[in-house]
Amino acid sequence: MSKEKEQNQETAISRRSFLKGVGTGAVAASVAPTVFIDAETAAAAQTGEEINRAKIKLNINAQTYEVEVEPRMTLLSVLRDGFDTSGNRLDLTGAKPICERGECGGCTVQVDGKAVYACMMLALDAQGKQITTVEGLANGDNLHPVQEAFIQHDALMCGFCTPGFVVAAKSFLDQNPSPSHEEIKEGLAGNICRCGTYPFIFEAVKTASRKLL
Amino acid sequence: MASWGEAKDSRLIGKRVSRLSGTDKVTGKAKYTFDINRPGMLYGYILRSPVAHATITGIDLSEAEALPGVKAAIPLIEPGKRVRFEGQEIAAVAAITPDIAEDAVRLIQFDYDELDYVVDVESAKEEGAPQIRDDWKSNQSEPRVDERGDIEAGFAEAAVEVEATYHAPVQTHVCLETHGHVAEWDQDNLTVWASTQAVFGTRQNLARHFELPENQVRVITEHMGGGFGSKFGPGVEGVTAAKLARKAGAPVKLMLTRKDEHLVAGNRPSMTQQVRAGATQDGRFIAYDMSGYGTGGIGSGAGFTGPYVYHVPNHRTKKSAVAINAGSARAMRAPGHPQGAFAMDSLMDELAERLNLDPLEFRRLNSDSDARRNRIRQAEYTLGAQEIGWHRRNRVPGSGTGVKKRGIGMGCGLWGGGGGAGTQARVTIHASGAVEAVTGTQDIGTGIRTVIAMIVAEELGLRPQDITVKIGDTEPGLASRGSGGSQTIGSVAPVIKTAAMAAKRKLFGHIAPLVEADPGDLRAAGDKIYAQSDLRLSIPWKEATGYLGMETISEGGEWDENLRIGDVAGVQFAEVEIDTETGLVQVIKIVAVQDCGLVVNRLTTESQINGAVVMGLGYALLEERIMDDQTGKMINPNLEDYKVPGTMEIPEIVSIAYDTDRKITGIGEPPTIPTAGAIANAVYNAIGVRIRELPITPDKILNALG
Amino acid sequence: MENFAYINAANVEQVPSLMSDDWSETKMIAGGTDLLGELKEYIETPKKVINLKSIPGLDEIKADASGLTIGALVTLADIAAHPTIQRHYTVLAEAAASVASPQIRNVGTLGGNLCQRPRCWYYRHPDIICLKKGGDTCYAVEGLNKYHAIFGGGPVYIVHPSDTAPALIALGATVKIVGPNGDRTMLLEDFFILPDVNPQRENVLEPNEVVTEVHLPQPKAHTKSTYVKVRERGSFDFALVSVAAAFEMNGGTCHKANVVLGGVAPIPWRSKEAEAALNGKGITAAVAKQAGEAAVANAEPMTDNGYKVPLTRNIINRAAMTLVH
Repeated sequence: MSKEKEQNQETAISRRSFLKGVGTGAVAASVAPTVFIDAETAAAAQTGEEINRAKIKLNINAQTYEVEVEPRMTLLSVLRDGFDTSGNRLDLTGAKPICERGECGGCTVQVDGKAVYACMMLALDAQGKQITTVEGLANGDNLHPVQEAFIQHDALMCGFCTPGFVVAAKSFLDQNPSPSHEEIKEGLAGNICRCGTYPFIFEAVKTASRKLL
Repeated sequence: MASWGEAKDSRLIGKRVSRLSGTDKVTGKAKYTFDINRPGMLYGYILRSPVAHATITGIDLSEAEALPGVKAAIPLIEPGKRVRFEGQEIAAVAAITPDIAEDAVRLIQFDYDELDYVVDVESAKEEGAPQIRDDWKSNQSEPRVDERGDIEAGFAEAAVEVEATYHAPVQTHVCLETHGHVAEWDQDNLTVWASTQAVFGTRQNLARHFELPENQVRVITEHMGGGFGSKFGPGVEGVTAAKLARKAGAPVKLMLTRKDEHLVAGNRPSMTQQVRAGATQDGRFIAYDMSGYGTGGIGSGAGFTGPYVYHVPNHRTKKSAVAINAGSARAMRAPGHPQGAFAMDSLMDELAERLNLDPLEFRRLNSDSDARRNRIRQAEYTLGAQEIGWHRRNRVPGSGTGVKKRGIGMGCGLWGGGGGAGTQARVTIHASGAVEAVTGTQDIGTGIRTVIAMIVAEELGLRPQDITVKIGDTEPGLASRGSGGSQTIGSVAPVIKTAAMAAKRKLFGHIAPLVEADPGDLRAAGDKIYAQSDLRLSIPWKEATGYLGMETISEGGEWDENLRIGDVAGVQFAEVEIDTETGLVQVIKIVAVQDCGLVVNRLTTESQINGAVVMGLGYALLEERIMDDQTGKMINPNLEDYKVPGTMEIPEIVSIAYDTDRKITGIGEPPTIPTAGAIANAVYNAIGVRIRELPITPDKILNALG
Repeated sequence: MENFAYINAANVEQVPSLMSDDWSETKMIAGGTDLLGELKEYIETPKKVINLKSIPGLDEIKADASGLTIGALVTLADIAAHPTIQRHYTVLAEAAASVASPQIRNVGTLGGNLCQRPRCWYYRHPDIICLKKGGDTCYAVEGLNKYHAIFGGGPVYIVHPSDTAPALIALGATVKIVGPNGDRTMLLEDFFILPDVNPQRENVLEPNEVVTEVHLPQPKAHTKSTYVKVRERGSFDFALVSVAAAFEMNGGTCHKANVVLGGVAPIPWRSKEAEAALNGKGITAAVAKQAGEAAVANAEPMTDNGYKVPLTRNIINRAAMTLVH
């Protein structure tokens, strides 16, 4: 029997009031007087200055977006839900929020050529870096060989994990152009597919590797 | 009478065709519900109970409502009512950003009187345990008893007996796209983008809830990120999204979090069964006495199969459900079967060993009671045994030498999946040559969109990519069933096929006089229409449809039960390697031989079999919802401690889409059934110690090896 | 997560002044893969987050006569791929390569891997206030403790999740810490503290101190090392048990064995018993086995983690045999 239960039995029924977390702190932080840093200052800020909100520039798929962010915003949230300073949605919804805890790979994007989880990177930390999302892999209508191979081998079913897998596979092949079967498995171990398309993903990566060589 | 014709005449049916949605999915263009962004859209977020059992005494939304950016806040439970599991809905907000919505939820103050709870099944059965359901006398449902033959006579005849207890944990669906909706009102018209397996079911449910005529509700599911049985209606979250949208006067997106998904969006019930079984010296399975239960949380259903696949003349079963303070079960990929199959196939091996019989031979001797299925299953045994190298298994379980020991085992399954009437569809041929196929089904990742295109293209002599398939939308008013029970293809394909046939007939009738041919002599193939009796009489498709002028052909179809079949048999063989020093089980190879009736798209069928095996592997080796008795909480509501298979777990999978009849059947569920039993038996064959409890994790192996 | 103010640190010396002396007020961020997990679950709700990545020079690996110096911001991927580390400090390269997933290793830093918080499921649950989080109960004691400690537990029973820490300790690493009163350097082995010293912390750091670099001495001649990690899920999982083994060999004899375990204790756990069983001996199958047995002789398993005892024994044996073959 649990401690909580024992206590409950002693005092018959406990009466509780529950305020989720330290709610007042949340408000204080989210509506605090804004220390606003513009894009140029933010990029150069080495001064110990507090940033509560900032305009930053993000280079995504070779295009520069100016966005206004709170420090807590992740790169993933800006890609999917962010607006540029002209009020247009970025609407880059290719990277998917699946676990939001860096456990599934659904939001994999490339940052300076390396695969990272966009859900576990602050947007502020992505400043000054080259970000490539799944939307940026094809050249017009010409798909990247990894994308072509995923279609050819049916390396996708519901497709929700697919953008993350495609970017992870592309990044992996950038580093290891001619991998073994075991290396492919290790290289993609940071992504999950619940439909279980893995065997065909492995085939696709092998085919893409041959095309890219 | 409609038929799928001979294999030799099929240009597309049975071939490997890439998914039509492939390009959109690999480029990120495919918009799932989670990706729908509407102008002025708000983000919804639900406050959930942090405790397993309590009476809510008050909810104060004022602080949340006062937070800048919050546009609506609503209670989801009335004071005085009970919450009966961690995660149950209490209130919800909609705000201009996801972060503000989450902040606002944390400002909602609520009071509750905590009640004693129980999250452990064995404790829930005890007298004096906190009562969970008002409609049951205790936490255990009235057992359902089923008796055939003469159980006592059966045991009297038995030469050997086995008694064992098997257990399988609660598994959660882990849909990668969480449950969720985007709801938008235009006066009294509601449009909902839903991550659902049933656009029409969701429409009906929402229309009833908001007391609207069904034609004032539109449900759209263009792409959908996995359901596995858990996504058949709007649920609390869907209704909440629509309520918030109405209150705020703006579209609302409300998607569950990963934790919510584990807690509230369904699960496969657990299974605990005690079984006593007997067989005769000549290998007849003669008696089976089983008593078992499972938990579906606060839900009522926790059934499982048994006896299963194999014919047992004398049996008695007693099955019940046990309620605990946890989220309700929902249908999950072959409900009841994987847990029942794991127990049954483990038992078959245990009996065979007592009889000193080859487990495969023992199965052959105790055939499936259905004649067709048995014929197929016997052939599958032969095929699978050959492919895995059944002769390589350890004659004496555990007799391998060395630190890493290999073993081979097998398991079986059966499933319905034949579909049914009730789908409406239209195939339209435009004068431009464009062809549309429209129906109210939805593609939940199975590839039905591509299958529809293949069937129409085969009939009209076109390529699949020439067909525009419009599904996942209630707007055209062509209803279809929810995609569950592996029923989609069996329900949809016959209607599409007959609609395409009708459209073609009509086209032929239209152009026959113009080309001076008998309509019955016309054929469609290779982007042309030609006369069979005079091959010189051939005109390109677009020229032929051009004769339609201002006319458009649009034909419906009929469900034809002769085009589909159910009751499929499946057999799987597993080879594992166990590191006896670490307890790790590595699956080396799975051979899945699955009765597929008529395979339409061999490529996507193999994907389905692969995927079902992978989910079965997770069930066998990794997955388990873990409830903590001290706190009443699920302690692993994430993807770190709730472990689903990743790349490193994947063995060589030989998926054999076994062609049997020239009739279509659904294949989403059946191949996930035999996997856990096959793996469990392979583990035993490797180490000579039987693990009767899933998942088979290293701690269990090491404890068993002592 | 709650919002916070973000501050780019200009240099190492500035960091202590930017940090509060109250743990809950400020946090440091490098790769962020551990911190963001905590913030998203409201386990931490700091007012300010100090960015260390803005500090130049901490992302370098430097070799000199004294050995190898690895900056705290060097990523795990870079450590795993570094030729000198692969060759001379094999156990570290293997340990770094075994961390989490490629995506995590690409951003996760050495400093972060050493200072990461526990993975205990009670600790990581937002609605459970356990002893580690300032509550009064370590729920693992009477609860679900399959992944918990078999050595050094009490009053909390977490296991230290780092893979690189056991490897570095086995290699005799020192760690440099900068605080308000300047810097200090200590053996990494002394950096970690048991819960009976402070149940809420895993190391000696004060709230306003920062790890800036790790130094590895020149490897002794004929040192061989390896990292053996056993995880329940092959893809992306923390260790059930791991062993970092570094042997200084003298011909066929093990002159000095360093055996440090991961996943078994609230700190990286040096097994003096295993080392004693190996030191001065020729590594035979029997000796390796004895080392494993010696290591677990004093294990104190809980209700659900008894399997860690044979597992620890067996992989010490395995690591030893790997190094001599």
